[in-house]
Formats: sequence, C-alpha cells, structure tokens
Amino acid sequence: MTERKKVLLVPLDPVHDIGLKMIRTGLDRAGHTTALLPPDLTVEEVVREIQQQEADIVMVSRTLGYGVAELLSRFVDLADATGVRDKVKIAIGGMAIRPELAAELGFDAGFGPGTTVEQAVAFVEGREYVPDTTRFSKTKRDMTSGYSYQYRHQYIGELLGQISTMIMDWVQDKTSPGVERAKVREELWDMRKWYAYEENTEFIREYPKLCGDMPRKYWLEGQLHPKTRRFTREEILGLERYLDDVKSRMSVLKLQHTLPKPIVFNQYGTGCPYMDIGHNKMSEAWGVDGVVHFDPSWGARTEGFLDGFLTHQEDGTVITPANLNRIKGSLEPSTLWQVRAHRGLNTPETVVLAGLFKADLTKINFCYGSLGAGTDPARMLVDAYHSILYAIKYGMPFDVVTNEELCGVPAHKAFAGMLIVTDFAVRLGGRPILQPLFAFSPEVMIGGQMRDNYVDFNAAKIMALRQITDAPIWPGAPIGFLTHDEDRVQSSTTTALHACLASSLEVEAISIASSDEAYSGGPISVPSKIDTLRAVAEGFRFFGQTKIQPGPAAEQWAAKLVEDIQQVLVQVVEEGDFLRAVYKGLLGSQAEGAYPGRAGRDTVTRKA
Amino acid sequence: MGRVMDQVMDAIDLETVLACRDVEEGRGMILELMKELGFHDVDVVFIQHEGPGVRVRARAYIHRSGDKYGWLEVRDK
Repeated sequence: MTERKKVLLVPLDPVHDIGLKMIRTGLDRAGHTTALLPPDLTVEEVVREIQQQEADIVMVSRTLGYGVAELLSRFVDLADATGVRDKVKIAIGGMAIRPELAAELGFDAGFGPGTTVEQAVAFVEGREYVPDTTRFSKTKRDMTSGYSYQYRHQYIGELLGQISTMIMDWVQDKTSPGVERAKVREELWDMRKWYAYEENTEFIREYPKLCGDMPRKYWLEGQLHPKTRRFTREEILGLERYLDDVKSRMSVLKLQHTLPKPIVFNQYGTGCPYMDIGHNKMSEAWGVDGVVHFDPSWGARTEGFLDGFLTHQEDGTVITPANLNRIKGSLEPSTLWQVRAHRGLNTPETVVLAGLFKADLTKINFCYGSLGAGTDPARMLVDAYHSILYAIKYGMPFDVVTNEELCGVPAHKAFAGMLIVTDFAVRLGGRPILQPLFAFSPEVMIGGQMRDNYVDFNAAKIMALRQITDAPIWPGAPIGFLTHDEDRVQSSTTTALHACLASSLEVEAISIASSDEAYSGGPISVPSKIDTLRAVAEGFRFFGQTKIQPGPAAEQWAAKLVEDIQQVLVQVVEEGDFLRAVYKGLLGSQAEGAYPGRAGRDTVTRKA
Repeated sequence: MGRVMDQVMDAIDLETVLACRDVEEGRGMILELMKELGFHDVDVVFIQHEGPGVRVRARAYIHRSGDKYGWLEVRDK
C-alpha cells in the first residue's frame, strides 16, 4: 500500500495557482494530505511554513520570467541553509519549466506544460510515472455502419434506380485491359510467393501483355520510369531501424474533444514511400485518424503497374506491392488507410492491391474520373463497375469524391453524379460514402454564395444530401479547398474552421490539407501537416459540442440543390443512355469545365 | 552537413519580419539570409509586405523526396 504523504502546495506566483489546485484534487483523491499556501508569500515565509507544517513533499508553482531563476535559487538556498532540504523533496512546475532547468536550480523534479495530475501524484508517491497508454488508444471505426442507404426523397431514389438499371444493362458484359490486369493480379499473382521472394512465373508471363509501353518495358527489360529508382540495401536497413525505434516509443494524440467524430484524414504521396512513412508517423503522433495514399498523376494514364521498392522524385507515390506493403506495415493498428483508385486506367487493379494489402478504404467515382480526371467515360465506367465489385469482395467502403466541382461543375451536377455512383454501388452490395467538397469553388466564386461566409453553402450541401438519402458523409478533399493561402496561420485557421463546421454538422469524417496547401514551390513539409492537425484539435476543443448555426440561406440553398439534382437526374433518365448523358454534359458540360477524358478510349470490349 | 541537420525530416522554415520597402526587396533579403546561413535548396513560401516591412517565411529543403535521408542514417556519398 502507498504511504500517505503530507504535501505542501506553494504558488510562488502572484496569479497562477490553477495547476496546483488540480494537482491538489488528484492528491486528495489518492489519500494524501495537502495544504495549499496563499499566493505571493516571500521565500522566507514559505520556508517557515514548510518547517511548521512538517511537510514531506513541497510542490512549488511558478511561471518563469525575468528574475525568477534568481528567486527560485534563493528559495532553494534558504531551504538548504535551514536544513529543510534534507527532509523534504521539493518540485517545481509551471510554464517554461523543464526537468533539466529544475535540476540546475536545485529542485528534485521539474514539471513543464502538459504535465498531468497523474505525473504529479507519481512523484509524490516516489514511483516512476508510467503513461496510461489507453488514454489515447484508438480503434478503427467503420463510418458506414448505422446507415440504411434508404432514400428520404422517394422520387430521386426512383430516378437513380432507373439510371442504375441503364448502367448495369450496358456495363455487365464489358471488359477492358484494366479489368483484365486486375483479374490477372488476383488470379495469378501469389502473395505468399511474393513474400517469399519467389518468382510469380505465370503472372509475369501474362501481365506484361496487358500493359502499356512503360510498364511493359519494365517487365520485359527491367527499365524503370525515368523519375523512379530502387531503394538501396542501406536505405532498407535504415528504414527498418527507424521503424523499430519509432514504434517502440510511439504514442498518439487524439484530435476530437468530447465528440467521437469526425474522423480526420490527411493525405500522403510525397513520391517516396520512406518520406511518406516519416510523414505518416508524425501525423499519427499528432492525432490523425487515417491517411490517404496519393499516386503520381502519370499512374492514372498508364496501363499497368511497375514492381519493386521504388522511390519517385515528384509528387505521388508509385503504387507497387512492395511500396504498399511497407507503408501499410509502418502504420499504427488504429490508423485507417485509404488507397484511392477513382480516376485512371489502373482503377480495378488498385482496388485489388488495396484489398490484398488490407486497406480499410478506397475511392471510386466513374463520373469524376470521366469528367475531371481524364479517363474515357466508357472505360471509366467499365473499370469502376469491376472496382466496386472488388471493393465489396475485400470489404472496403469507398468514398465517392466530387472534385469535378473544382473544374467548375456546379455542385448539383457533381452531386447528381455522386448519387448515381452511390446508388449503383449500393445495388451491387457496396458501402459508398458521400464526399461533397467544402470548397470555395468556381461556382460560388461566380455565383456569390460565399460572398459573406463559408458556412451556409457548405452546410446547404450536407443538408441537401441528408434530405435525399441516409448515407455517411465525409467532406473533402481537402476541406476548405481554395480558401487557403501560403501563410501557415491563415491556412491552418481556415482548415480548422471548416473542420469545426464539419463537426457541427455531425459528418462522419473529413480530409484535411497541410498548411502548405497553397504553396506550389516544393514538396509539402511534415511541419505543415502538424500545423493543421494542431489547429483542428484546438478548434474541436474550442467548440466542444456547441454548434455553428448556419443562416437562413443554407436551407434555401439546400432546397435548391435538391431540386436541381432532381432535374439533372430526370434529364439523364430522359436521355436513356448514361454515357450519352455524360458526353452531352448533363453531369458537367465543357462550358462548365468538364471534359470527357480520352485516356483509354476505344479499349472497352465485350467479354469473351 | 552536421548530424543535427541529418535529423531534419524534410525542410527547415525560417519565419521573421524584415524591415524593407517592398516585397521584392524583402524577398531578396530573405534569400540572401538563407544563403548566408548555408542553405542551398531555398524558396520563399510566404511573403507579405505591410507598412514597415515584410512578414516572410523562407524554406530550405534538407531532404527532398527521393534523396537519401540522414534520419535513416543513410547519407548521400
């Protein structure tokens, strides 16, 4: 049993004694006897009190400032001279106090900012402080659970049903090189052999036949993409040492305050999986709940993947089994991992690899992929259909992003596309997540919906979607798109405010940018990721469960969005052919900045 | 490059206020300062001139993606 101690708490400070009061409560609860002296006694008076009260432990609180070190030294000297020092353990705590500074001044211990009550109690009881790791222990949460995907707006539900049938009738007997590669990857690539460094002979024979020039040259001649290189053995050993060390002392902060959501994601894709791992470990430590893998833009326009453990000198980390395996292996068990697959010629195979390497989430949208990301609509539709089937097979929910808004497509058209993908996926058995943008989009720049504030139109988007269907919502990506500038204070603030709006609207998750979001002169730096994580945590702390109240315009815009979405869906149904509707601009026209993509054109064939 | 610099994960930012007449002068000054401090791969992330001078944040990349990272105890030869 712990020996009860008499503890004298000394606010050697005219103002600040709140820390001592909190510690006193903790000590009282632990059964110790405490006495709190009044603030602003002289050091002589304090030493006299220590003698008279026969304290075992003295805990002094004092914020450091000019002349304070001398004051504290004088206190310790007097305690020495009167013999108090031999009988009593003395600790100092306060802002700017560090353990090494406390030792220099002659104290037995020093407690700086962030000290917990438990730490102080451990000092009094003379035992080592063991942090309670369960305090910040996190578990993964399935953000789709609890949603019925039932329509609240029956007519829109009926229209979407008709469009899904139209799509299914067209797509189910089609295939593409991307679909065939995914099939080869799934059927002929033996993961156990790969882990054992054995050759996947059958896979290597078939796969290159389905690849474009660059990957084929890799598979047949060993030629790499010019901006990539293999890691050296020295680097691999260095990473293993680094991860062993970091994982042994890893702890994670929690961003949310008293609400369990939104889950907070940030993205990585520096080009180098090692740098990504460095960024991800720092992001996890500072509280991120999930990370999103970004691959290079050329990956979306290339038929086929490379292989090996590769670093890339520009943005976007190359998808290879080795890269995904290392990144996944580096993550904390509680970190959600999303591998995006929504927009290019390798979409189905990306989902297969994500599934094989146990990603939690992926990202699929055949409308955005066709209209804002450069892939031929027919090809994108066929590939996305199979991708959704793979996502279902591997148990991965996926978000349906609406980044075509950034091209200039109005929200109601982007949302109509998102709802089409969502309905189609739900009918197949998938668990899609709606991803509206929280953005200062071209539509609102011109239309003036955000002339006064960023709250109402973003809130209207969430309200509109909720009027239509009961589905999870994950605004992105990142929130506050086009509201950031290069100043890290402005950038972190706008991210935090959008995060608080998302929290207030009770969405499931958010994707946040770094404070380098608007800086285009070089790679995103890891301190810039910590900037926004810190800002978001502070925002959540500030609002707690208090809501941001949108203005009356939000409801009006929500009603208008629902009406306009319905109108778009009616037009698609009347068109009678989904792809024709895409080319006709019903989900985003060329005048609005949406251009049906050309990558992969004429590669769709009927299944044999 | 010293051992501490090896431990910089990617970049060092230097943020300050420089007394100057306009953005261009401030930009020139901060880049000169970064060179004087011995940094090579430098850029200005943010600069804004108001009244007496600029608030500026300059960045020096110590490790770019694809480099060999000192924090992994791997060094460029």
